[in-house]
Amino acid sequence: MDYPAFMQAFYKSVKGFALNLPMLISVILLSGLFEVFITPEMLASLFSGQAFYDSLIGTVSGGVSAGQPFISYLIGGELLKSGMSYYAVTAFVLSWVTLGVVQLPYEYSLFGGRFTLTRNLLAFIFVLLISLATVQTLQLLS
Amino acid sequence: MKTQTDNTQSKPKQKINGRYLLPAVLLGYALLYVYSSDKTIEALLSSLSTMLHLLPVFLVVIVLLGIFTALMSAKKIARLLGKQSGIKGWVIAVFGGILSHGSSYIWYQMLANLREQNVRDSLLVTFLYARAIKLPWLPLMVSYFGYTFTVLLMFYIIIGALVQGLIVEKIVKHKH
Repeated sequence: MDYPAFMQAFYKSVKGFALNLPMLISVILLSGLFEVFITPEMLASLFSGQAFYDSLIGTVSGGVSAGQPFISYLIGGELLKSGMSYYAVTAFVLSWVTLGVVQLPYEYSLFGGRFTLTRNLLAFIFVLLISLATVQTLQLLS
Repeated sequence: MKTQTDNTQSKPKQKINGRYLLPAVLLGYALLYVYSSDKTIEALLSSLSTMLHLLPVFLVVIVLLGIFTALMSAKKIARLLGKQSGIKGWVIAVFGGILSHGSSYIWYQMLANLREQNVRDSLLVTFLYARAIKLPWLPLMVSYFGYTFTVLLMFYIIIGALVQGLIVEKIVKHKH
């Protein structure tokens, strides 16, 4: 590899990250707030037992939550135990990793409004579609 | 005669991203501290722990970006992930998404750079959705929801990532 070219590219990428650092720190600080102030109990209390409504609530609550994916498995597992539908739990677990309200400002600043809106809208719709497809197939197989 | 200063002045000034959001978030923390000091400190500590946890990943991404930019010419990138990339581009986007580690926002900078080098929006959308497959957490997912559920969900995530990419491709084509 061409060493000067690498150093130049490396410098450029460090500079890019440095310019984005305040935004990254903001996103991480926001995730911390969401993680602590939006508790699993609060999320669980939003579900009603109606499959469609719960799928929507699962998608929205997963999208505004923050933290490692295993937390969503933990909450999802508990919701299933308490009788929640697979649709809602799948939507919740999936939206946790595909939608991110706290990341929206950063995504918008780098990719622009059109890309951010299209991607997140598609991701939202596909959370519902994939939940439906997964649970329907699961029921067919069992 | 054009001076060095003139040249410097003619360069577009690079903006610091988040220069308004960060003070707003810090203000939010200050206000929440008044309302609930314990929880706010807990949130701050959690954020600091996330930052420390992400630091090595950031370094890896910076080095990767450097290597990638130095090794790959714009032509090569266009061939692999540009308009003419074909199936190869989709495969790279899906597997790249599955194998990439950490939170999505760590990868945004790299993806934005690739986009500037004419990487298709559709492949970026596919990459970002395929990231829903978290390889290190799969055993835990299996233990909570079972093998069949996990395999089915992974399968549909890949299909979903590809279909979303194709939809974006259609939208982009339609606009041009």
